[in-house]
Amino acid sequence: MFNKILIANRGEIAIRIMRACRELGIQTVAVYSDADKNAQHVQFADEAVHIGNAAPKESYLNMDVLIQAALHSKADAIHPGYGFLSENASFAAAVEAANLTFIGPSAASIRAMGDKAESKILMKKAGVPTVPGHEGLETYEEFKKAAKEIGYPVLIKASAGGGGKGMRVVHAENELQEAIELARSEAQNSFGDERLLIEKYLAEAHHIEIQVFGDHHGNLVHLFERECSVQRRHQKIIEESPSPLLTPELREKMGEAAVAAARAVNYNNAGTVEFIFDPKLSTFYFLEMNTRLQVEHPVTELVTGLDLVHWQIRIAAGEKFPFAQTDLHQHGHAIECRVYAEDPSTGFLPSTGKLLQFIQPQGPGIRVDSGFAAGDEVTHFYDPLLAKLIVYAGNREDAIKRMKNALNDFIVHGVVTNMDYMHAVLETDDFKQGKVTTRWVDTKFGEWNVPQPELHALIAAALTDVVFVGGKTQPAVSNETDPFNPWKQTGNYRN
Amino acid sequence: MKTTFDTQTIELNPSGENFIAVIDGKTVHVQITRADAANARMDLLVDGQRVTAHVSSDMAKRWVTLNGQTLMLTKTSGAKQGVRHDHAGGLIAPMPGQIRSVAVSVGEAVKKGQTLLTMEAMKMEIRIQALKDGVVKSVSVTQGQTVEREQILVEVE
Repeated sequence: MFNKILIANRGEIAIRIMRACRELGIQTVAVYSDADKNAQHVQFADEAVHIGNAAPKESYLNMDVLIQAALHSKADAIHPGYGFLSENASFAAAVEAANLTFIGPSAASIRAMGDKAESKILMKKAGVPTVPGHEGLETYEEFKKAAKEIGYPVLIKASAGGGGKGMRVVHAENELQEAIELARSEAQNSFGDERLLIEKYLAEAHHIEIQVFGDHHGNLVHLFERECSVQRRHQKIIEESPSPLLTPELREKMGEAAVAAARAVNYNNAGTVEFIFDPKLSTFYFLEMNTRLQVEHPVTELVTGLDLVHWQIRIAAGEKFPFAQTDLHQHGHAIECRVYAEDPSTGFLPSTGKLLQFIQPQGPGIRVDSGFAAGDEVTHFYDPLLAKLIVYAGNREDAIKRMKNALNDFIVHGVVTNMDYMHAVLETDDFKQGKVTTRWVDTKFGEWNVPQPELHALIAAALTDVVFVGGKTQPAVSNETDPFNPWKQTGNYRN
Repeated sequence: MKTTFDTQTIELNPSGENFIAVIDGKTVHVQITRADAANARMDLLVDGQRVTAHVSSDMAKRWVTLNGQTLMLTKTSGAKQGVRHDHAGGLIAPMPGQIRSVAVSVGEAVKKGQTLLTMEAMKMEIRIQALKDGVVKSVSVTQGQTVEREQILVEVE
């Protein structure tokens, strides 16, 4: 087992990984940029190394500095978390070349799944269902022929792509030529690679993904699905497991397909195979594989009882899975809400500032993975994820109720969050019935208007200055003899 | 004591140890049963009904969470000395960022909605526009300057 691990990340995921290290008796090294000098993940670690300026390119994305930090602090492994360098094959290779262990899949697996066209060809060979389409086309005539064959609407996307860049939906042939040209130039600008692929566009689709896990001894299992269809601008905000759509038969088929996909690239450690699911036909297609730990991994942890980060570390250290596929089961229901510092009434614009209050909900079946505390600054340099709120209950209906209460009890002041918005999503019939598709938030849920303050809110706001002055409690009326005076129940007197 | 938040005005008057609040001609009786500064929490009895609120203040802003819903109110009158607010024509930076361009100078007449300056924050362009017709009284920033949240940028009279 490792003695010391450097976590090449920040925020909630860095803390999540450090927690696992502590439990396994492993020392931790945090890294931080200028902007994160006083961040929670730095405070949480055994050691911390400064790695550069606030801009990610000059710190969290600087491979050489990170590897030097690991060598200098005598760490024997690096955990990349998610985002930043987690899916960078060159980084994985460089870490191994420096005689350190990269906690994740091999550079070769990352590379094979990094290219959308290449991975799609690999998946077809492995017998994994893929969206009907073509790769390697060049001329307009070829695209036109392919589009006709597939049937409109079609999707044009960059082979090297990701994040919606170089992606175009084409509804009719007269839009095709322009879409190809635009997608091509976007792909060239974003990825330095103008290759495109074409496939069938599914407008009313769900996003269902399967967690896979492999050790270095040939064992490869899946840990069931996560339904991640509640998305705004192609980014997930609410995830759950099990999916309300899957039958046991479909679950088994998708699990087998995911394992086949992972096996095709000799995958080990934690990974996620994403599928597009067509609810009308109950068919699924391979979308892509994320070769890292996923943001929403806690929902899988809660329904399977396995600690995914523990296993990432143990597998990287050479341990063998003590369980087979048949030993794994889903129990109960878990939901995750991503609490973002963003304003739903301004098209989800990030909100920055100092956190005046940050009170996390508590209670049975409630888990909060957070990277912030009151007094922290939310800066514009990084992802605006404040915390992940995850609940667990015996069934979906109870989990939804528990989540609504937990959202109500989560107090964040100082930045605008998306919590009220998510609460409203949970209240809809579409969500309750599991009918939310990936474009539902953008097309059906509609615009978000901040509610007008009602009477009680105005009273509380007006009383703020009377009751709390300069952060301290001040008596409005002095009454030193009254033992029940509410002012006496504050400050150090609380028990 | 009268306070206006955004467009709504509330009048709050002490009555013994309690308060009488008047909003839109409606009068209610308010009793503070508990005030917990560490958690910014106040428990109230409003006309006998139990209300728990979490409140925070940041200059002219008041954050209130009640029944799980969080609102940000901006105090627009009756503010304490030193509190800056924008209704008087002083326009403040909505978030930290950098001034990209300044389009007006002191003494210039401007129309409501006219872009006075642009700033860049979180890789986006934000336009600071005049809230009313008037004359530019002061310009406190220059192109390229980094500004903090709520820093006064321009004043229009």
